[in-house]
Amino acid sequence: MVKWKRDIGLEGRMLLTMFLLAAVYLFFLAFLWSSGAPPLFMLLFIALFMGIQYYYSDRLVLWSMNAKVVSEAESSNLHQTITRLCAIADLPKPKIAVVNTQVPNAFATGKSPSSAVVAVTTGLMDRLNQGELEAVLAHELSHVKNRDMTILTIASFISTIAFYFVRYSIYFGGYGGGNRRDSGGIIAVWLVSIAVWLVSFLLIRALSRYREFAADRGSAIITGTPSNLTSALLKISDVMPRIPNDDLRKVEGMNAFFIIPAVSGSMMNLLSTHPSVEKRIAALEKIQRELEL
Amino acid sequence: MGLIDVFNSLLGRGSLPEAKTDRLFAISTAVVTMELDLRLEPSSSAGICFKPMEMSKYETARDEIEGLLKYSTQETGTSFRLEKDEYNFLWVILKDEDFEDLVTNIHMVSQTLIEQGFGEQLLCAVYRFESKGPVYWIYNFKQDGYYPFVPLEGHKRDNSMEMRLKSLMENELPIEKNVEKWYPLWGMPF
Repeated sequence: MVKWKRDIGLEGRMLLTMFLLAAVYLFFLAFLWSSGAPPLFMLLFIALFMGIQYYYSDRLVLWSMNAKVVSEAESSNLHQTITRLCAIADLPKPKIAVVNTQVPNAFATGKSPSSAVVAVTTGLMDRLNQGELEAVLAHELSHVKNRDMTILTIASFISTIAFYFVRYSIYFGGYGGGNRRDSGGIIAVWLVSIAVWLVSFLLIRALSRYREFAADRGSAIITGTPSNLTSALLKISDVMPRIPNDDLRKVEGMNAFFIIPAVSGSMMNLLSTHPSVEKRIAALEKIQRELEL
Repeated sequence: MGLIDVFNSLLGRGSLPEAKTDRLFAISTAVVTMELDLRLEPSSSAGICFKPMEMSKYETARDEIEGLLKYSTQETGTSFRLEKDEYNFLWVILKDEDFEDLVTNIHMVSQTLIEQGFGEQLLCAVYRFESKGPVYWIYNFKQDGYYPFVPLEGHKRDNSMEMRLKSLMENELPIEKNVEKWYPLWGMPF
């Protein structure tokens, strides 16, 4: 019996991020409330809009990615692999879609595990072997199991409201009924909205990265072989160096001229939704050691 | 890149990196973990690969290596053979049940070549292990580090297994960090 350790650090960081996000949102709502006239109609309008978007999210995503849902007959290997992984993860089997592009990628969407869709590109299937494909699918299924789609939609709800305030507050200049509000009030709302939007944006990005780590961990637990995901990540990443296939004796003598580009910046780290592949691989290697040593 | 390297490349002084053997011995302790935790069995064979040169001084060095090998392998009960591969690289292939003796002899060959001034010609040392198939640990003298090589059928390699070995052995074996330098050696002669 393999004992899976929980990643307390990761769970702690996730909780802290969600707590900070909630604090920012509460502050924002309290501010709107105290600033006199909460533009209730606008909140309702955005809520409705996002509700619809959320409800149709799976179809929207599939449509925008040009993904085609495939039947068991069309893609039996994908179906069988996912069926087995779902049995291990105790998940209902999602719909499976394929995107016809050479860019290697995969994604999961859907409101709940029972309405989820997992999609892969043909480029991904061409490049990865069975074990690696399994690891990537298990990563996507972990997103489904962890309900990441729902959590990130909820997390970004109020941030979206703040964003609309920033963009359109000029049109709402007269809300609250004529001369009760002066232009100073509008500017204050605008400034606070910008601040709330910026801070929540960064927090949501951080949360999204933590969910990625959690999904990587989930993939390792479902497949039992973290190294398959590591090797898949190396193969599909544009920026990661690849394990070469050219014989050492052929390239001997050229080794002296290799240049290692130094591209790394903390700004990029803050803004991206995915953690860097290096960090993900380091985390997977740690899991591998916990598992075997 | 250090200042001297920049200066050298400005003057077009291209040179091969020197061979380093500082971390070669690390495998003799790491082998315990490999056997016990990873269930990688040492296959009792290892090899060292270098580029022969067309010069008399080199022939002398080669003769000396053969002489030394005959002497040292007698002591340790190791058997050895020399073999040229399709790339015209020369291999010294050693066989011994005792892993420690393999490491000692590999070190002896590399040291002799370095002392004779042929360190630059040293390519790598390779230790073979058995799992489901052959698993090789390759020591690159230029990079002073090890990396795993797990060949599959038809010039493919098992990247997952290699990454797994890296994760597990990282703390015990100096492993080349840049996977771009994990060059395979196809058609291993042992």
